[in-house]
Order: sequence, then structure tokens, then C-alpha cells
Amino acid sequence: SGGTGALAQWVLVELQGEVEPRQSGSLAGSLLGDLHYTREGVPVLIVGHHILYGKVVQLEKPFAVLVKQGGAPEAGPGAPHGHYTVTALIKTKLLFKTRPKPIITHVPKKV
Amino acid sequence: RSRAQVDATLRTAKLDPAELLPAVHCLRFGPHAAPGHCALLQLEPALCAELEAGRSLVIRGEKDEQAVLCSKDKTYDMKIADTSNMLLFVPGCKTPEELNADPSTSNIIHSQIAGFSNNYWELRRCRPKLKKLRKLLMEDPYEGPDSRKDQALTFSKYTTEDLLSLIQASEEEILHQLQVIDACKIEGYWRILEFDYEMKLLDHVTQLIDSESWSLSKVPLRTCLEELGSLEPREMIEHILLSYGRKYVDDGEVYFEMHEDKICRAIAQMLLRNAVKFNLSEFQEVWQQSVPEGMTTRLDQLKGLALVDKSSRPETIFLLKVEDLPEDNQERFNSLFGIREKWTEVDITPYIQDLCTEKQTVGALLTKYARSSMLNGVKVYNSRRPIS
Repeated sequence: SGGTGALAQWVLVELQGEVEPRQSGSLAGSLLGDLHYTREGVPVLIVGHHILYGKVVQLEKPFAVLVKQGGAPEAGPGAPHGHYTVTALIKTKLLFKTRPKPIITHVPKKV
Repeated sequence: RSRAQVDATLRTAKLDPAELLPAVHCLRFGPHAAPGHCALLQLEPALCAELEAGRSLVIRGEKDEQAVLCSKDKTYDMKIADTSNMLLFVPGCKTPEELNADPSTSNIIHSQIAGFSNNYWELRRCRPKLKKLRKLLMEDPYEGPDSRKDQALTFSKYTTEDLLSLIQASEEEILHQLQVIDACKIEGYWRILEFDYEMKLLDHVTQLIDSESWSLSKVPLRTCLEELGSLEPREMIEHILLSYGRKYVDDGEVYFEMHEDKICRAIAQMLLRNAVKFNLSEFQEVWQQSVPEGMTTRLDQLKGLALVDKSSRPETIFLLKVEDLPEDNQERFNSLFGIREKWTEVDITPYIQDLCTEKQTVGALLTKYARSSMLNGVKVYNSRRPIS
């Protein structure tokens, strides 16, 4: 169900591929990276040893973020039965489609 | 992370801070970020507006049903769309416009990623799944106050709340359908009248109209209640008038303009129930004699209720109610082609009209589910597949 009062506006960040934790275990609490914008408004994401360039997209079809009430989260969206609360709306996404540029931190010296 | 760390990363990445906006978002996965905790639902702008206006969306469906999403007045099929990308949802993340508009924004914004997913639910507007509504109410039709049945404890009775939780449709669609099927609320439960009882009530009214020589378009509620109140509950008398007439007020008094077509149709149903099929001309004669004085019967009053077989000698007519046919498009067409191999558009339309949506007209349905050919100069439709 919808909430009383204004719904929060969130932003979607879309990345290619998967995000994996450094150490094995859940992602909860771990750092993803720094999100900058150029003066022209281009989003730049630094993740680990990669730089990703993206763009700001206004979504033609916004998203609602549903949070399942009560009980443990299911693996995957399988059966959408149960109580959901609309927590937020997403009207904007930051789309990172360009291949990440690796950051070279160590240049081997010529022998 | 501190500003110093952020700047160090920028230097390593060989990015010039002068070309960047001063604010940076340090993104970290929140404590609850795990697959399955949050889900994304793709909205049409209209639905988005409804949510922003504070209205609710509800997901309905029992374990054996495909879930649907309902707004206040519309129903949508839900389908998972997979994406090969990773979608992260970030509360409080600012866009460049927002940062530029508010120069006081702090230099470092610590943002928590609330959740992530690689799929989302897509919505597609669909017909509300209302066949179940009639099925539920037919479990225990109301047979009148004298019926022993109602005194026994029965659990096949449904309140509005019950129906909302069991029927895959929006509230408005459900309430509208209850009106269409002439359901009424008795002691808080929605009931459909048992057909014989309904005909008995209708008969009381039509006999009274006849004996009082009222005009069919001006039947007074007050007198009906006075004259018939001793025979049947007042609510039932009013209900039958509402079901078969249009209520209006004239000079402070309530009247009903009776629906000639609907009354003729009900009487036809009563006659046709009793056998598999009837000789058409005999039926038409009996039917005309059975309807109230001043009413004229016409075969087109029976669309979606009965079917005429023009190929038999003599021509016959039999009961075929659209509400008894399957709700699913393909199953409906299979069923219709099982009853008759070739249909004209005129004959089949009443039996597929309820399948139409904004995007699918009768013509579109016929193109999709049937094949056309010419028979004796007339266009007919038959099944696309062999019928077993």
C-alpha cells in the first residue's frame, strides 16, 4: 500500500555485470565507491580499480520500490504474494554502460 | 570516508577535481541490502501519480493464481523482466541539477544503497478477473426469507472485504460488477438471487403493473411496497425494481422506468431453461405470450443468452450464456468452436465482447484466435486449430 505523506524519491544506479563483495559474505555494509559528477553533469563512478562514465536518464516509466513486510526476504522475486509497502519512487537513473576503465596504479619500471 | 581519502582516489584515478562538481556521494551498501528484500515495480505515469496522491496499490492473488496488481479502479498483470544489469536503489542521491540548485549541499554525502536487483516487475493492464465473483456468489444464492437454507450456518457468504481479498480485480471493478450482476447486500453479505426466486419477485411486480394498469415507464415504488410488502420483504421488492428498472424521482415520488428488454430476456431464460433446445417459431410464440402486456419480444434481446441454429430444419434456439463460458481468451474460443464450427461475426460478437480491452477489439480478437472464410457469400469464422 502507499504511505501517508509524500513518498521519498530515490535514484537508480544501473551498472553492467554484477557487483561482488571483496571478501566472501554479504554486501551489507561494504563500500561500493565514490560517485562524482563532472561540471557538465556526467556521472563518474569510481569502483575499486575502475572508472565508469555514465549518464543521467529521466525514466519514462518510473519505478516504485516495494519492501516486503514481515518474514525473511525470499531468494528472488518468486511469488509476489504478501504485504508490500511502497517505500519510495524512482524517477531518475544513473546509467553506467560504458566499459569500466581500469585505474593503473602501478607501472612496472623498465629494467 | 573522508575528503582526504576521496581526493586521494581522484588523484590515483587521474581525474581533475576542477572538472568535477564539489560534492561527492560515497556509496556504501546499507545493512539490509540483500536480494529479495526490496523489489522494483515499473509504473506507468498514471499509476505513479496515484501513488504520489497517496493512494494504494494492492497485489492480489492466491497461491495458485498469477498475481495481479490493483489500483483503485484498474487491474494489471505482473510479469518479471530480467535485465543483465545490476540495479542499485539509492535514497538521498542527488542529481547534478539538484546539487547545482543547492550550493549549501555538503561536500561529502554518505549514501547507503538500500537494495539491489537484476530484475523488476512489469505491469500490463488486463481485464479484471471477475468470473470468480459470480462463482462465489452462486455457491449460496438467496432463495428468499422463507428458505430453510439461510437459517443453517453456512460459510459460503461473502462480505465486501472477503471479495476484495479473493477476487483479482480493483475495488471499483468489483463493485461495478456486483451491480451488473444485480447482486444485493443482505445482512452485510453480498448475495445473488436464486433464479426462481428472482422470477417470482418479478412476477409479483409485473402482475401488479398489469392489475393497476400503470405505464411501464412510471411504476411507483410506494404503491409496490404497500401492495407487495405482505408477500415479500420490502428490500427485495425494491431490489427487483432496481434490477429491472431505472429509478427516478418525479414530484417527490420515486418511480421506475421498467427495462422492457431485460424483462423479456429474463422470461426467455425462464422458458429456455427447461430443455436442451426449442423449435424457434414455437418458442417465439410462447415467449411473446409470456411477457407483460405492452412489451414486444425481439430475438436481439437474447444476445449472449441464447443462440439460434439457422441450419437446422425447423430452426431451433437453445440457451447459451456467455457467463458460463471460460474467461481465458483461448479457452473461450475453443469452447465456442466446440459448440459450433463456423460462426458469423454477428453471432459470435456477443460471446466475445466481454474479452475486449482498450487494445483488443472484437476484430482484433477474431484475427488472433480465428480464421475466416466465405460460406454461401457470408464471411464466417472457424478455429485456427483442429478441434479434438
